[in-house]
Amino acid sequence: MSILQKIKNTVRSRSIHVSYVDVGSCNGCDIEVLACLAPRYDIEQYGIYVHNNPREADVLLVIGSVTPQWVDKLRDIWEKIPEPKVAVAIGNCPISGCVYARKGTLTSPPVEKYIPIAAQVPGCPPRPTEILSAILSVAPLIFKDYEEKQP
Amino acid sequence: MRSIVYYLREFLRPEWIRKFFFAKTAPLETPSYFKDYPSLTGNECVACLSCMMICPAPDAIAVLRTRDGWEPEIYPGHCVRCGLCVEACPEAVLASGRILDVTSRDGTALWSWYRLEVDDTLCMRCGNCCVSCPVNRKIDQQLAGSGTSSSDEVIMRVEGGRVRVIHEEKCTGCKTCELNCPNGAIRVARMVEGVQIAEAEA
Repeated sequence: MSILQKIKNTVRSRSIHVSYVDVGSCNGCDIEVLACLAPRYDIEQYGIYVHNNPREADVLLVIGSVTPQWVDKLRDIWEKIPEPKVAVAIGNCPISGCVYARKGTLTSPPVEKYIPIAAQVPGCPPRPTEILSAILSVAPLIFKDYEEKQP
Repeated sequence: MRSIVYYLREFLRPEWIRKFFFAKTAPLETPSYFKDYPSLTGNECVACLSCMMICPAPDAIAVLRTRDGWEPEIYPGHCVRCGLCVEACPEAVLASGRILDVTSRDGTALWSWYRLEVDDTLCMRCGNCCVSCPVNRKIDQQLAGSGTSSSDEVIMRVEGGRVRVIHEEKCTGCKTCELNCPNGAIRVARMVEGVQIAEAEA
């Protein structure tokens, strides 16, 4: 492994840029993501920076069961993120639809149908610590030796 | 010059520098009272399905047959961690956080019954519900055809041209009447109320 690659690995594991998108949830999970930013959980001490710009992001947090209006837009957002990228499903909604997975609701979960999901954080809503540990554990795994893994 | 040296010494203390680069908040531990996904306590499940009936999330809990009995299983992608199944279980098969401690301390329980509702504008007095009801069948063997009955002990009967519910408390919630109603006029609803044990005994 070249020294350059080693530096890239170190930097990428210490500097993860996160963007989150709510594709139709009850806002409970959004509040938990915001709680990660607050001093109690302080996501930035781990080198994770949340700013809602997909063009600068490494990790996309997908929140909510997918409503029809979001089907094409979610894919657009996913394509705007530069490589290497990873999507994490936050909460029950992107996994199963949670309480919206019943007759007569205008949602089409799971979110895996539209974009590739690397990790799922179940919970309604999940604890901020669960979100934090999911991002911290999945992002370096995907980004490590990214250039060497390319065909 | 001396003041510059003084300030450098004052602000470049190794302890301060170490704190500046490696400061972390206290390790994030899950508190003991956190209502996590319900876990099994080891008590024997009697398959009364109270947990499945009270669960507000679709497909979150299922009571499955194992080699030596029954066992509730929680599906994390569906469960909303409300803890109602833990409260509803009469045998304390499930545990989550301090729910069991609180319910035993306060003597609270969930009390449920079935409510029968007949929509008179939809009902066409065919008597299918009264005839198909398995409890009615056991009480009054003669109950057939029109749904009228001479017995006062039946759950419901056709009386004076309309269905009258007499003994709601005997309903077992099987919903056979709902299935056999051609108009969807009869509805069986499971009602649940939180009670304290002293209150329930009175």
